[in-house]
Amino acid sequence: MLQQIFSLSFMTAFLAAAVRLAVPLMYGGIGETIAEKSGILNIGMEGVMLSGAFFSFAGAWYSGNLFVGLLLGMIGGLVVSLLHGLLSITLVQNQSVSGLAINMLMLGVTSFLFKLMSNGQGYQQIETFPNIAIPGLSKIPLIGDAFFNCDFLTYTLYVLLVLTWIFYKKTNLGLSFTAVGEHPQAAESAGIQVKKYRWIVMVFNGLLGGIGGAYLVLVQLGVFTENMISGRGYIALATVILGRYTPFGMFGAALLFGAANALQIRLQTIGVSISPFLLAILPYALTLIAMIGAAGKNSEPEALSKPYVKGAR
Amino acid sequence: MMEKEKRTRAITDVLLILVITVIVGTVLIIACGASPAEAYGLFFRGIFGTPAGFAEIFVKACPLILTGLGCAVAYRTGFFNIGAEGQFYVGAMATTIVALDWTAIPGVPRIILSLIVGFLAGGIWALIAAVCKAKFNISEIIVTIMLNYIAINFLGYAVRSFLMDPEGNVPQSAKIDKSVQLGNLIPATRFHAGILIAVLCVIVVWFFLEKTTMGYELKAVGLNKRGSACNGISVMKNIVLSAFLSGGLSAVAGGIEVLAIQKKLLEGISSSCGYTAVLIALVAFNNPVGVFFVAVLYAAMQVGAGSMQRQLGVPSAIVNILIGVVVVLILGRELFHFKKTHGKGGNA
Repeated sequence: MLQQIFSLSFMTAFLAAAVRLAVPLMYGGIGETIAEKSGILNIGMEGVMLSGAFFSFAGAWYSGNLFVGLLLGMIGGLVVSLLHGLLSITLVQNQSVSGLAINMLMLGVTSFLFKLMSNGQGYQQIETFPNIAIPGLSKIPLIGDAFFNCDFLTYTLYVLLVLTWIFYKKTNLGLSFTAVGEHPQAAESAGIQVKKYRWIVMVFNGLLGGIGGAYLVLVQLGVFTENMISGRGYIALATVILGRYTPFGMFGAALLFGAANALQIRLQTIGVSISPFLLAILPYALTLIAMIGAAGKNSEPEALSKPYVKGAR
Repeated sequence: MMEKEKRTRAITDVLLILVITVIVGTVLIIACGASPAEAYGLFFRGIFGTPAGFAEIFVKACPLILTGLGCAVAYRTGFFNIGAEGQFYVGAMATTIVALDWTAIPGVPRIILSLIVGFLAGGIWALIAAVCKAKFNISEIIVTIMLNYIAINFLGYAVRSFLMDPEGNVPQSAKIDKSVQLGNLIPATRFHAGILIAVLCVIVVWFFLEKTTMGYELKAVGLNKRGSACNGISVMKNIVLSAFLSGGLSAVAGGIEVLAIQKKLLEGISSSCGYTAVLIALVAFNNPVGVFFVAVLYAAMQVGAGSMQRQLGVPSAIVNILIGVVVVLILGRELFHFKKTHGKGGNA
């Protein structure tokens, strides 16, 4: 049994599955990281991703073009995030309530539209984005297939992660965006327009979350089903915390969730009798432990989920 | 004058929200190619047409009332519990274990005991989040979401292992003995005794919050933590207490669902009522009596929409859209007044 688990082919397939399962979480997670760094908690990420998934399917189905689907998925996510922005930034409402309402709304809207669209009959699968093997790198044993034989959205994600990291670590603008989440009053008195910055992060939140949902349709499954995000949006929230609000931390956390998921599928196929449900608990429990462990250090942005009113103390 | 203005404002808000919601509903029905008159006819016939249909409202409202109450109690103290879903399942599991295994205790006492154990289990489950918040200052929102997934996955494990019916090979528990089930009160409907328990809880929670010192302290902490602390009200104690009550109430919802409706434990029995409950508590402004009415109204919409879906093929997802719209409108009601405050035209 152990021999089977530690064999190269098992590990290679396991890693590849882990990465594929993690990519939607990573898109949602990076969008959420950007929003939370500037103080906006979007629990509606589930709704954003659901919108992205549905509209990418609709777009790809009607146009026959995957890129049109991707674009529509991004717009679908964007609209949902902007609604959250309207409620939480302009109207200074409770962000958690707004997010949950959005999740329920989008579950209804996408299910409704999909029923109208399908009119009772099932859909054929749409074609999905092909994998592009990077010459050389994809031949590395163990990790080559997992990380360098992917679709273009996964490669785009690597670039995004690096860019986000550079942006927050090395640029003044990144510092301003962080300040908006840490101490908006101070940021405002330093001449940063807090509300404008928060609107900007919501745009990225929506576009990236939309891709996360679209990825499921356009790369993994080729179909839309009702409630197909099924909690991935909430997991994306967890990856942000577990990753301590850094792009690469989030990357690692999402990989952990992906790996736990892939492991239960893999173990079942070789007939190991450990309950997949107990395995599935693992990443959530780890997130909790990590949160408690990090309690004193406090990587959370100070003003996270606190509505900002200009001039108020 | 100010008070009066406020009140008219509140009334116009409610009316506007109602009108917009009905318009959205009508547009959605038309979008399905159905006639709104016929659809609304079926909607109301589904609700009032038969005693069974009418009773079904309360069957569906029962878990929503209890989880909604749970959320309302927590939110009054400023504890944003999103864990009703997980607490529901923890309660369902604990209740099932007592109802199945403690065979030495006869019928009705075992029912009561199983629900009490469920209450305690759900309360303790919610305490994890309360302690994280009170001791380590960790956001209860994320903790309760994580706890939901842990509870749901653990349920998946439980119904496939130690709670699985030894005689079957389906992931569900053995059937609960007839003497421990919460029976039907009205023949030919599903109106069960658990609904009375839910109503009783509404009254008790209302009394507790409005008429007792402990309830007053809970609300005081929710309104002003610093002020409460300065006046000798322990913030930590009250957060822990409200979380415990909140988790317990949601857990009872799970227990009743097992004893009255399913008669066994299986996955997916909450139909996500734990998340709906958050919105119900909000729409009811965290008022226990309000929770009762909003939950019944929501359940009536579900029953009515169900009849619309069966007869006309109008997707019942409409209900999700409408409750989402209602909450968004409540949050966004400031927009109705932009005209006055900003001197700009345009209505919502």
